[in-house]
Formats: sequence, structure tokens, C-alpha cells
Amino acid sequence: MKDAPDILLVDDNPADVGLTREVLAASTHHSNIHNVPDGEEAIAFLRRRGKYTEAIRPDLVVLDLNMPRKGGQAVLAEVKTDPGLRTIPIVVFTTSHAEKDITHSYELGANCYISKPGNLGDFFSAVQSIEEFWFGFTSLPH
Amino acid sequence: MSTTAAIDRATVQETKTRLSALLVEDNLADSELVLRELQRGGFEVSSEVVQTAADFRRKLQTTTPDVILADYNLGSWRGMEALEILRTEGRDIPLILVSGAVGDVTAVECIKQGATDYVLKDALARLPVSIRRALREKQTREERRQAELELARKVEELARSNRDLEQFAYVASHDLQEPLRMVAAYTQLLKERYADGLDENANKYIHYALEGALRMQTLVQDLLTFSRVGRNRQRTHLASDAVVQEALQNLQAALQESGAVVHYDNLPVVTGDRTQLVQLFQNLIGNAIKFHGEKAPVITVSAKKLAAEWAFSVSDNGIGIAAEHLEAVFVIFQRLHTRAEYPGNGVGLAICKKIVEQHGGRIWVESKAGEGASFKFTLPACPADGEGNHTDERRA
Repeated sequence: MKDAPDILLVDDNPADVGLTREVLAASTHHSNIHNVPDGEEAIAFLRRRGKYTEAIRPDLVVLDLNMPRKGGQAVLAEVKTDPGLRTIPIVVFTTSHAEKDITHSYELGANCYISKPGNLGDFFSAVQSIEEFWFGFTSLPH
Repeated sequence: MSTTAAIDRATVQETKTRLSALLVEDNLADSELVLRELQRGGFEVSSEVVQTAADFRRKLQTTTPDVILADYNLGSWRGMEALEILRTEGRDIPLILVSGAVGDVTAVECIKQGATDYVLKDALARLPVSIRRALREKQTREERRQAELELARKVEELARSNRDLEQFAYVASHDLQEPLRMVAAYTQLLKERYADGLDENANKYIHYALEGALRMQTLVQDLLTFSRVGRNRQRTHLASDAVVQEALQNLQAALQESGAVVHYDNLPVVTGDRTQLVQLFQNLIGNAIKFHGEKAPVITVSAKKLAAEWAFSVSDNGIGIAAEHLEAVFVIFQRLHTRAEYPGNGVGLAICKKIVEQHGGRIWVESKAGEGASFKFTLPACPADGEGNHTDERRA
């Protein structure tokens, strides 16, 4: 495995992206964060299309659900039915606590679902846990 | 009032009732007889006569008579076929068969097929009575149909408003919380990273802003909880002893901290949603603990059988509620104290009210300031109680 893991952060909210970067910058995994603001760009990034021809294949996708143009669930559906991409783990990381969002995300093949905590301390712990779990304990496909 | 009614009745007697009649008749002399009888019976008749099935069908497509008077025997066809045509055209118009002597069996068969009545030609004097009754019945049918339409409209309206509410709950869970989370998180970040470099006032402002954002988060959460009450409910027979026990388990920390004693014994079996009834008892007992006076809380949960329901009571020895506030406590976000005195958003009792009402019961509170409070609510008695007794009787 490469030295530093690559995370594709699909989120249209610069404030959340900022918080997530804050946490990851302070961690020992030195993850590279690639941020795209919506589902269409996420798919372009993963398929190396348009301005993303040089994009790196991420080790993990952290995916928001409610985004303009193409939402997170459409991205999930597309990635998880694509034999070339389906092995990339996807963490849904969203404000929604709604039962139907949780169920539907898992149905579409999400690898885990985390509701963004409202409290800063909990938000930081959540992001740390994501990184620690996927890059500290988990064996990922090459 | 009674005088007016009397005059009205007199007027009706004198003025003739307008009636449009469609006669299905191939004998002109008979038509004349029928019309004369109707006039004698108090009707001002406008009539048309058709002879063939085709004419009858055409007429139905263009006019709406008050009543159809069909001869039973019509040479080439029968009045019974007129009934069939009426049905296939989807018209609700009273049809009375008028005919020479036929057996009782045929008369009964005609009524079964949907004729309003059967009048013999040698007893035509009965015709006006029969028509009046048919018109009354038709009006009743019409009124019922209107009421049913209205009911269906209300049901659809209710379903739509429920869908709207669900949509609202979803919007609240995501769209409202997202910006709120931003405010809370960044104010918190500001506080953690920059508190040392700011003066006392600045830190105080940040503290207020953060507190407001965090409280708003709990308000949105509470509103969500409130709006979700009643969805996905499952009705089962529940021993309310066990329900209270579960509520007490959830309240363990508060019980220990306050040294509260809760008495409950022999509570009945009721029909309801387990999760919601646990929530109901938990909120009421939780309040009894929270609003305690100088003494440690003593709380009694009891139930009394009224006709077809159980009246529960959760009584405490706490600070009580002044008479003028007894209604307000059940309104969402209504609070009688500052947050410094008693924390909370004022949602608990609103949730209780919603739960009780969803179960077909009522909730109220009896209290005086300083003298404790008794929250009372009713739940439908479990029908199995009665059935159980019957079984026992049979066995005995």
C-alpha cells in the first residue's frame, strides 16, 4: 500500500470540508484529501474524465447525500454497480438521520453510514474514527 | 317557529309539486290515466312518453326526469329491460313499474332487479304516494352520496397533510440542521482556538452564540421527535406494570440522584404502542421527579376503571401548577420556568398529549401551586379483559 491514503471527499459544504480537513491534517495517517462539490464531479473523478484525467484512484470515498445536480445516492448506485469501482469503500457522511436515507444507502451498497454530529467534539471524533478504522484496522483491496 | 312550520305545510298542501315524469308506455289511453291520477295526487306534471327501448335510452342520455313510470308489458319489450338500460346508463332515477295484474312473484322480482316500486293499473290511486316516497328516498341517497364524497375528500386531505408533515420532518432533519451545525461547530472552534487572544466581552458573546446554537439544535430534535409521534405504531396488549417498569429503567439516573420513590401496583392491561406508552410514562414520571419541592419526590402511578377505558393517574408531591397554567402545560414549547430554574424545551407534555390522543384517550392535570400535581389520562380498556371473563364463565 502507498504511504499516504487518498480520500475523495464528496461534499458541497465548504464549512464541513474545512472541518474535515482540520481533523485529518492533525492526524498521523497524513491522508491526501481530494474534494469535489457534487455527484457529477465525483463520478468524473472516479472515471478520470474531463478535468480529472490525471486523478488518482482513492482508497476511500466519503460521501455526502444532499448535493446539487447528482446526489450521493445516485453516486452510490453508479459506483456500486461498476465492476471497476465497486471495491472502493464508501462512507456516507451526511446531516440526515432519516431512516429512509440510512436504509436506502445500505441497500445501494454503502460500506457504512455516519450522521454528522452537531457538536464539534463529536464531529472531530467521527472523522478521526473514519480514518482510524479504514486506514488503521481495515485491510483494503489494492 | 311552530306557526311558520304549520304555514309551510299548508302551502305545500295547496301548491302542487312539480314533477317531470318519463312514461314508458305503448298505450296512449293508459298514459292519460296515469297522468290524470298524478294531477289528482297533487302533482303538476310535465311528461314525455317513449315507446321503444332505443327511444328510452336516447331520452336518458339527454334528460333527467324525476321519475320513470314504465309499463310492465310493452308489446315488443318489457319494463324490466328499462331497468337494465337505466343501470347500464349509470343513472339513478326512481323507476316505478305500472302494470295490469301480475303475480306477487313477478312484483317481488321487479323490486329485486332494482325497481323502486310496483303499482297495479287498477290501483293507480297509490301512485302519488309511491312517487313521493321514491323522491324522498332518492334525496336521502343523494345526501348520503354527498356525505360520502365529502368524507372521501377529507380523508384525502388528511393523507395529504400527513405527507406534508412527513416532508416537513425530513426537511427539519436535514436542511434546518445543516446550517445550524455550521454555526455551532465554528463558534465552538472559535472558542477553542482563539479564546486566549480575545477579551472577556468577546468570549461572553461567543458563549451566548454557542449556547443559542446548541439549544436550537435540541429544539429541532425535539420538534422532530414530536412530529414523529404516531408514525409506525403497533398496537398490542400491554401490561402497563411492565411499561412503567421500562420507563423507570430509562429514568434510573434521575431517580437515584433525586432519591425519588415511585409506587405502582396492579396496573391493568391496555391496548397500545409499547414504545409510545413507555415514552408517555417516562415523560410524566420524569416531570414529577424534575419539578420536586423541598422533599424528595414521592410518585404514585395508579389506574381506575371507567366504563370502557382506564383512567391512569401519575401523582407527585412536587411544586404543583397554578390553576391558570393547567391548560398551557400541554402546548408545545410552553414553559412555566426559566431554563436556569428547570432545564427543558417544553416538549415533553405536548408529546404526552399527542400519544394519548393517538390512542383515543384524553389527558389533563389536577393541581394547585405548591401542592403537587396529578396528571391523568385515559386509555381504551383492553377488550380481551371481557373475553377472558367469558371464557372463565364457560369453564365454570
